[in-house]
Order: sequence, then C-alpha cells, then structure tokens
Amino acid sequence: MDYELPSEFDLIVVGTGMIESIVAAAASRIGKRVLHIDSNNYYGGLWASFNLDSISNILNSASNIETNLEVKQFLTENEKIYQFGNDAFHMHTHSQIWHIPEKANEQTETEQSDLPTECIQKEEESWTQEKLLKNSRKFNIDIAPKLHFARGDFVELLISSNIARYSEFRSVSRVLTWLNGQLEVVPCSRSDVFSSTKVSVIEKRMLMKLLTSCVDGDEKEFVGYENKTFRTYLKDRKLTDNLIHYVLYAIAMATDTTPCLEGVENTKRFLSSLGRFGKTPFLYSMYGSGEITQAFCRLSAVFGGVYALSQPLNGLIFNNENKFKSLLCGQQRISAEHLVMGIEKLPKEFVNFTATQFISRAVFVIDRSIMASEKENLTLLLFPPEDGKNPCTMIEVGPLTGTCPKDTYIVHMFTKQTTNPEEDFKHCVERLFGNSKNESETGEKENLLPNVLWSFYYTVPNTVNLDLKNGIPKNIFVCPGPDLDLDYDPAIAQAKAIFNEIYPDLEFLPRAPDPEEIIIEGEDNNNIVTEGENLTDQPIDEATEAVADLQIETSNDHGEGSSGIEQGEAE
Amino acid sequence: MATRKKVLLKVIILGDSGVGKTSLMNQYVNKKFSNQYKATIGADFLTKEVIVDDRIVTMQIWDTAGQERFQSLGVAFYRGADCCVLVFDVTAPNTFKSLDSWRDEFLIQASPREPENFPFVLLGNKVDLEPRAISSKRAQQWCQSKNGIPYFETSAKEALNVEQAFQSIARNALTQQNQTVDLYNEFPDQIKLTNTTNRNSNGDSCAC
Repeated sequence: MDYELPSEFDLIVVGTGMIESIVAAAASRIGKRVLHIDSNNYYGGLWASFNLDSISNILNSASNIETNLEVKQFLTENEKIYQFGNDAFHMHTHSQIWHIPEKANEQTETEQSDLPTECIQKEEESWTQEKLLKNSRKFNIDIAPKLHFARGDFVELLISSNIARYSEFRSVSRVLTWLNGQLEVVPCSRSDVFSSTKVSVIEKRMLMKLLTSCVDGDEKEFVGYENKTFRTYLKDRKLTDNLIHYVLYAIAMATDTTPCLEGVENTKRFLSSLGRFGKTPFLYSMYGSGEITQAFCRLSAVFGGVYALSQPLNGLIFNNENKFKSLLCGQQRISAEHLVMGIEKLPKEFVNFTATQFISRAVFVIDRSIMASEKENLTLLLFPPEDGKNPCTMIEVGPLTGTCPKDTYIVHMFTKQTTNPEEDFKHCVERLFGNSKNESETGEKENLLPNVLWSFYYTVPNTVNLDLKNGIPKNIFVCPGPDLDLDYDPAIAQAKAIFNEIYPDLEFLPRAPDPEEIIIEGEDNNNIVTEGENLTDQPIDEATEAVADLQIETSNDHGEGSSGIEQGEAE
Repeated sequence: MATRKKVLLKVIILGDSGVGKTSLMNQYVNKKFSNQYKATIGADFLTKEVIVDDRIVTMQIWDTAGQERFQSLGVAFYRGADCCVLVFDVTAPNTFKSLDSWRDEFLIQASPREPENFPFVLLGNKVDLEPRAISSKRAQQWCQSKNGIPYFETSAKEALNVEQAFQSIARNALTQQNQTVDLYNEFPDQIKLTNTTNRNSNGDSCAC
C-alpha cells in the first residue's frame, strides 16, 4: 500500500484546521489540484476533537518537527529550507487533572489537585479513571468548541455549498445565565418570554418591544447612541435590572462597556437565528466540533483533493527571491504555486508577529448536568462579567451529542484571558461544581451540584487580529488559530479572503452537485463535471423553500408577538 | 420497529486503492462501468432503494473519495455505518493482505457496540482478469476466521455477482440495524441541514 504523492500541485495546504480545510475545499471545488497534508495523524489541528486517551497525547506536544535528515541535499543552488513549526502559536496546557480514583476500592489520589478527598462520591456506581478510560472512544472532546447560529454564515455556507450532507447537528435546548446567585433560563424566543415565570407581564411587553425595535433596525431609534454603551440604551428604555441582564449579558453577549450599535448588532444576530431549528438560535455538531473540518476535507477529496495525514514534513524550500517553491515531504520535493498553512506550522523564521491576546479555555467531565432536568439538555451558559472578570462562555454537552458516555456531561469554558485559565474560571467553577464544597453542606438535596471527574485547563493565543502578512512570502498564506467567536464567522471570512486572494474572480464554494446529479458515464463521455454544474440553480431554490417551511418564528413574528402580548395584557 | 417510517442504511466500502470500490458502486447503482474515472470529480456516496424481505430500504453507499490512499480517512467517515464492505482485487495479493488492517481500522474508528457481531461482507473483485492470485478457497478461509463473513466474487466490469453481493449487504445491514434498535435510537432528533423529512420529524423544531 505504498503510494507516492504526485510532485506537482496548484495549491498545497499544510495543516487541517478549520480555515485551512475550508480553503482546501474551495480550491478543489473549482478544479484546482490540491494537496492537503498534515504531520498530525488526526484531522483538525487546533480545532480538533479528541477521545479521552488521545487528548493527553496532544498536551504540550511541540509543533516543531525534528528531522535527522540532511535536508541540504534536496536543494539546488540559491535555495534555502526552513523547518516547520514554532513555539509561539501552539496551545499551552496548564493542568490536566483526574478528580476520581484510578480504580475502584482505592483511596482517592489527588496528587496534583488540592481538592479534599471527601468530595468524591461514595456511591457504589461512582466513576473511576479506569471506567472512564474504558469509555474513552465515546468521548469527543473539542479543543475549540463552537455553536452555530441557525441563520449564521456557517450554516448558510454549509447549505449553499451542499457540504451539509456530511454533517449532523443537534439544537441547543436552553440558554442560561447566572443571575442573583443562581442559574436562570434566558427567555429568548417569544414562547419563552410568554411562559417565563421570572418575568412580569409589564416586563414581557417591554422586552418584546425592545427586541422588535432591535430587529426592525429603525435607524432613528439609535440616533444619539453612537458613542454610548448598549447598557445606557437599555437603561434609557427603562428596562428593569433583570431584563437588562438577560438582554445585555445573554442575548447580546455583551459587557457593560459594549457600544450601543455593537450590542444591537449582536442582538440581531441572536434573534434572526431563532425559530429555524429549535428553541434557541444555536446548533451543535454531532460528535463534536472537530467533525466540521472533516466535512470540508471530504468535499475537497470528492473533488480530487489529495489527502495525506501523518506525513514527515521536513521543510519548506524557497528560492533566492524568497518565493515558496516546494515542500519537502520525507525525501520527496512537492511543488505548488501557492501554499496555505496553519499558524502553528509556520517556520520560526517567519514569526514576525506576537500574540498579545490569549484565550483561557477549560474542559470538565462531570457526572451530572449543571442544571438537572428530566430531559437531557444541550446548554449554552453565558456567565456575566463580574469583579474585573471577563464574561465566560460555557457549553454543556451530554451523551446525545455523541461526545461523552452515558451519565456524564462535558462542560467547555472559554473567555478572553486576564491572568490564566484557573484564575479566570475560578468563580464559575466554585459555583457550578460540587467538588470544592463539603458534601455535608450540600447534603442530599435535589439540587446536588455535579462533581468534576476530569479537568483540563489550557491557553490558546488569539491570533485572529494579527497581521499575518507581515514578512511572509507573497505566495504563502497563513491561517490564524481558533478565536473567541461562538460560531465560525471569522474563520469563514478568513478562508474566503485567502481564497479570493489566490483565485480572484472565482466562485467561493458554489453548490456541489448531489451525488445523483453526477452521472459517471463510460469512456464516451468526457464531460462529467459540466453535467453536474448545469444543475446548479434550481435545487438551491428547492432547498431554500424547504428551509422556509421550518421558519416557525421569523423575525416578523416578533411584531405579531407584541400584539400577542397586548392580548395577554387585556386578560 | 413497526413505527419506523423510513429505513436508511449506511454502508461503507473499504479496501486498497484500485481494487474497484467506485466501479462496484457505480455498476450496482448506475449500471455503468468505466475503465477510467475523471479525477476532477470523485465518487461521494450513491443511494439506491432496495427491497429486503418485502421491505423497502434506502441504501446509502459511501465511497472513500480517495482518502484511503494515504490512510487519511477521518473518523467522521465511519460514523453510523450499518455494514462495512471490504474489497480486494483477486489478481493483486497485496490488496488481500491489507484486509486485516482495513477491518481493524474499521472496528477502531467506528467502534460498533458489538464488534464481534458487526456485519462485514467481503468482495473479491476483478474475477474477469487473469492471472488470479488469490483463490476462492483462501478468501473463504479468511472469512471463516472472521466469524463467517459472507464472501462474493465479483466483476464490476462484467456486472458479475454485483447485484447479489449488494443484496446480501443490504440484508446484513438491515439485520444489524434491527438488532441494535438501541444503537439506532442512541442519537434521536438529529438535524440534517439538507434533509427536510428528517427535520420535520424533529420534535425540537417546534418552538411552541
């Protein structure tokens, strides 16, 4: 089964992160010869998902690829070679800790942990490391978890490009916030607002009116607020403190200093995705966010992209004008016009920028939901800013997402870093999880807090706003790593920008024909591609119509919503 | 399950590059054969309705799209498979030797609930070609050693045994799905952004 890679391509993509994979798919889709190559033995790079066994292997794994090969022998005169990888843009692990005993009937070992041993569950069915690791493959732990706005750029791209056929989703079933010392469901849809017992009738009316004016986007509404905060605007609208909390911290995902117009934009983004697929505006990828990069890679492969993981990437070869010529893979030189690469693979020689912002991230495997209910929930929790702490975004996923075994949940946390992940999330962890509390304090009450079974804290540089062109050869394009956005909007924008620079005037991910539209004929037919292409327009309309069927609650409905509330008030 | 409206079976085809995976699919679904496929557009998956024991089932057959060449099939490809078809070329001994690693790879990546009972079907393709390197007996012995995998000798080019082989694949896949109702229901209410029927049946889509 030893094949040799072809030695010439139009485009080589190094690294299988999100942006790299989108570019690879887009280039293959328009018929470019693409080599998508990675030294890792898995897809996704800094955007991947891992099972419980394998996540420990990536911890602190240096991205430098060392070689004993005498690489100079592969160069011609005036050429130079740079090794892949740098230390600046990789993820950095702070801690990975087990909070449960290794085996049953053994005293808890919490070597690295300062948690008291009594906090561990004493029931017979309690988890052990051994038991969790036996279920290792049932875990798909995202290192860059994402949710998708039902009408956001990502979902629209998946549908318009037909890549949606490679992926499945679940809808997020509730949005939570932390208010007055406890978790509260954020009323985000019209029906939520109606049924909420936490919001008075007058508040309901105020809320619907506000949301409607944000969506309708009447410019006059915001005159004079250009330099004011969203909070000021909400205050001026006489919203109660509770409502301000819901709108500001949850729906707009904003802070006290967020400018008004940005807050309005965020609110629109949230509201316009309501009512398409579920009770909240959000979707989550089945089996984890890491599946998404593979969907783009699959499309690329279907359109002829060559895929090679676990490759010995020995360096990048440049001519004397500093133009990228070839990649040295093992002992083979592979040439291409252009090279796209993930930032973590960038040779040290090209690191002309430093990350000034970092993202604190944490993952917890827990033994029950942070807010138990009869049905399994998929939860987005927006933890508001407090005491100099940044707002924290949390996603809780359960077994129904195919990311963890039965009777466990995974909680992901991320925030703009202030100090380090442990410090940045300390206040959240203390309130949400049970380990730090004495069991007798919480007692056997029904609202037992979940126990942390395993935790992982890490830092990722936020590279999305860096000038990734600074000092980089013209035919090389560097893709930033994961950002703080809840969805893939910045990633898609980056990928599109790179694609447009390499292939101006060519269409970015036009709809791929359905498999049935591709009629693979015998030798007499040399026009296979055209046949699929001709069918481009009509099916898209059908798809759109079908989607329209599901629009139970469009933005216009909010208008109706207010009238509904008036009726309610009349009662 | 009597209430199940529509049965969709996911079948994946594995085997070394060049053994005829795409040709077999194309022969079965489109009744076409080509000696050369355009590299510009690869095979993705093909869908065919088949009748198994008076039941209409939709079989979705997934090709490797060339990602097998450098052992770069991602785990996403294996998700939710109901049957795994292994293919080798009866004139190329190396493709027969690889079968063990393809089977192992499948069991690791797909991690079916009961690996020892998961349905595989083996196809020895290109029986129209000479000289033959792997005898029918040798292939059958391998199948016996793996808990009695059904074996078919096929020729995608001459449409030999292809229909029969896929009928057996459908039957095995269906049995697998019936036996693992549990597994089938493991992830209900999934949302497909493309498939409207799927979405309508999704209870979560109602916001009332």
